[in-house]
Amino acid sequence: MSQYMMIIDLDRCVGCHACAIACKAEWEVPADQGRNWVRRLGPAQTPHGLSYTYYPGLCNHCDEPACVTVCPADLEEKTFTDSVTGATKTMAVAATWKDPFNGTVQIDKARCLGCGACADACPYGARYVNEEGEEPKADKCTFCMERVAAGLEPACVQTCIANARIFGTVDNPEVARYVKQGAVKLESAAVRIGPNVRYFGNRRDLHLLTTTQTPTVMPEASLRRSLLATLLRPVRKRSLASLGVFGLAGAMALTTGKDDEK
Amino acid sequence: MAMKMTRRKFLQTASLAAASVPLSRVVAQADSGLVRTVPTPPGSFVGTETRSSVCEMCFWRCQIVGKVRDGRLVKLEGNPKSVNNGKSICARGNAGVQLLYDPDRLKYPLKNVGERGKPVWKRISWQEALDECATRLMAVQKTYGKHALAVFPHGASAKYPMQFFEMTGTENVSEASFFQCRGIRDMGYVATFGFAPGENVDMAHAKAILLIGTHIGENVHVSHVKSYLKGLAGGAKLIVVDPRFSASASKADVWVKIKPGTDTAFLLAIMNYLVRNNKYDREFVANNCEGFDVFQEGIAHATPEWAAGICDVPAAQIKEVAELLAASSPSVSVHPGRHVSWHGTDFQRMRAHACLTALLGAYAVPGGLIRPKSGIKLGKVGWPKGEHDEEFSLAGSHRFKPPGMPTDNIRRAMVEGKPYPIKACVCWGQNPIQTIPGQQRTIEALKKMEFVMVVDVMPTDITMYADILLPESSYLERYDFIKNGLAQWAPGKEEAVGYVAPRMPVVPAMFERRDQVWITNQLAIRMGYGNRIPVQSIEEMMDKMLAPAGLSLAKMQAMGGIHIQAAKPPYAPATTRVFDFPTDSGKIELFSEALEEAGFPAVPTFQPVPEVPGGYARLVYGRSPVHTFNRSQNNKWLHHEIPENPLWINEECGRKMGLRSGDRVALENQDGIRSRTDTVVMLTPGIRSDTVYMAHGYGSMNPALSVARGQGIDDQSLISRLAVDPETGAHGMRNNFVRMVKNGKVLSIPS
Repeated sequence: MSQYMMIIDLDRCVGCHACAIACKAEWEVPADQGRNWVRRLGPAQTPHGLSYTYYPGLCNHCDEPACVTVCPADLEEKTFTDSVTGATKTMAVAATWKDPFNGTVQIDKARCLGCGACADACPYGARYVNEEGEEPKADKCTFCMERVAAGLEPACVQTCIANARIFGTVDNPEVARYVKQGAVKLESAAVRIGPNVRYFGNRRDLHLLTTTQTPTVMPEASLRRSLLATLLRPVRKRSLASLGVFGLAGAMALTTGKDDEK
Repeated sequence: MAMKMTRRKFLQTASLAAASVPLSRVVAQADSGLVRTVPTPPGSFVGTETRSSVCEMCFWRCQIVGKVRDGRLVKLEGNPKSVNNGKSICARGNAGVQLLYDPDRLKYPLKNVGERGKPVWKRISWQEALDECATRLMAVQKTYGKHALAVFPHGASAKYPMQFFEMTGTENVSEASFFQCRGIRDMGYVATFGFAPGENVDMAHAKAILLIGTHIGENVHVSHVKSYLKGLAGGAKLIVVDPRFSASASKADVWVKIKPGTDTAFLLAIMNYLVRNNKYDREFVANNCEGFDVFQEGIAHATPEWAAGICDVPAAQIKEVAELLAASSPSVSVHPGRHVSWHGTDFQRMRAHACLTALLGAYAVPGGLIRPKSGIKLGKVGWPKGEHDEEFSLAGSHRFKPPGMPTDNIRRAMVEGKPYPIKACVCWGQNPIQTIPGQQRTIEALKKMEFVMVVDVMPTDITMYADILLPESSYLERYDFIKNGLAQWAPGKEEAVGYVAPRMPVVPAMFERRDQVWITNQLAIRMGYGNRIPVQSIEEMMDKMLAPAGLSLAKMQAMGGIHIQAAKPPYAPATTRVFDFPTDSGKIELFSEALEEAGFPAVPTFQPVPEVPGGYARLVYGRSPVHTFNRSQNNKWLHHEIPENPLWINEECGRKMGLRSGDRVALENQDGIRSRTDTVVMLTPGIRSDTVYMAHGYGSMNPALSVARGQGIDDQSLISRLAVDPETGAHGMRNNFVRMVKNGKVLSIPS
């Protein structure tokens, strides 16, 4: 897998909020919601001096996304294709999943029930339920995979006036350079699910960012809902082609489903 | 708090504003075999046409493209052909879509059948509206003289009508961009270098950048930010002089936490140190400057130790800054600033900026003050000049005024009829309620008019005072402005390129909105000036302007909205260090004879400003990164980002007052004027204890603004103590002081 990542360089970011507005326009996000956001932090004192910085946040497309396992929608087989090699994998997934090739977490709006379990489960608050359509649907940042497929940059990256957002797979040299230079994840002892958005900056700004914006507890809903979701999930009628490539969520659900049938 | 817009309400209002909005849909095949329709936006790149234009969410004029699907604008982006802003645009630029479709926008000509300030609107036809405007303007000019008309214009579309009104015989025009913003800067440099500097310092190639109060980051102009960041990435040292830890201060190598109103003393001390220690560019000064000896004598008293006491800054820090600048000379960007109308002593400060630039030899070199020229010649189209009798000039003693007339003199004529009555007023894109200090006096002036005509895109607080209110096309629906510039930091390029980009409609105007040429011409015909009309349409105007460059609207459309050609870099050849400047002496005037003759300090001079009275803090305002003053406040996307203007209060000071971040307070100024609304407290160590700060432009009072009304505090409502800069006649707006009011109780600021 070649995981997509985003680096936010706070040394460059000037806090202009263009990223948040470009995303709203691109994806018709309701005015009072956001697939991404900018929080203004400080000026506040840190052990390294005064800091006035920003938290440009978005879905972290985590290694172990808490939002995926809680989705109560029916499992369905879905075939994923590696955009680089053309290789395919088939997995049983609910209405949201982590792509086995590019590592992004996506939602199938057609199958989303709009229950909001995933939004409750995310420790970063990166999902919301869009109530403006005919039916409520969960929504969040897709890393603009639709734009990327069309050869474009994510909307937030394209508009960034400071070139502060660096997007690419882990193999992208610029992304790799930032990772090597110590770009941080917003992780704590209790919240360690492998976020793939990282922040780079001076010590003052990183101190203020990480001490005020890192989630320190997994949402309770996450544990309760995921249990509930897996218990309630009905078994698919069809046989599933290849068990070996199932994601964790799929395998768990399948097992639980079998138990239900007894 | 923000008024929440429910879905139903949104749909209701949106349907008023625009043709029905087809929600983007995809059809998904579900297992059941049923076809379900799920609203999944396809993205702005799917099924859209691309149309190029020029932004006017602010006045920097980035080159943009609109993505249009089924006749509806879905997104704005930077024009990928742009060598200026590139594919980037700021939050405001991105949010232009919401201005275009704002359901609160003006749609039809309206007549106020209520009273000014408490309007009752009646929809009328353009015919009736124009007839009435013409008749009443002519009546005033006939009774009281041609000069009895005041004009408050702002923005690109206001230029053509402004010239028209000037042609009818009035000079009483006051542009906020001059008399409440940057006019003092331009005139301070004109009196020194002979030209207006704009913000043309070459930060991208600087070794040091000096910002006096300029807060880049909160002040967002895309190519300017790019230039600044390129300089910082290249290792430029950043010095930020500001009582507040601004967005720029947070990136600075040196933050000078200066006492407000003392910047001139700080600059004089820097220059004194450079001269005393022979750390200035002696050769450049000898070759290019006038009056160095008098200048040297004039600043001899201004030692770092002298300034330290005035500025509340350690002398060592002043010396540190001076050393840094000297070490970086001549590649120093002494930023001229933008909004500089602070204390009524600002012309002298701007002169100090200019003189420091000269001492560092920071002119026409990489990193210094430059005069970028695209080399592309455009035509000029406009009304013939009017005849203005010197007798009716309101310039008074303000011999170094920017173009137009000092606002306060115009307003005095409106209120007091002195030296002659002004009895009609036209506001075109300007909202004088929130641009001019002394709000009550402005309202009094408006109430004394025999006729008030307002042309705008949105309702604002001034539109409440109109007799006739006319709806103008927005920048996305009209032609008007041609950006003509030089870029030096095109992606992947170091060489300079000139470019030309005209504003062109992205979508046609809806309802009965009209462009400025049509409105002005219709008025002109009715006022008897039909034979002087310079162009029949805005398209004709654009083509005439483009023609000398071998361009036309058709060609511009065909080439994606931007013409680019090679240009000369804005640097002098390394061997040229002697220049001609367009001043009286042909040199940079460190000492100005013209100023001396006019009775003003002829060498930059520090003039103390009123001290903060006990129990109060000085009210300092600045920019919000998501707003262009008051103009963008009703934009629901922008409003969501920063819905009100937090009041920055020094942390320690606030705690002593029993305040906590998140508390809500109103403000009361030294004259007992209370803010109409309250806002949220933000305690921070990043501000001096004698100063409070908030973003300008919030707190609109017009009920027609369903998003912006009453959100945050209107700082302008608290600026009742006037200061007028003697040289220029421009306003200073930072000599006002406030206390907090929490739950009806007045809290004094501890000393």
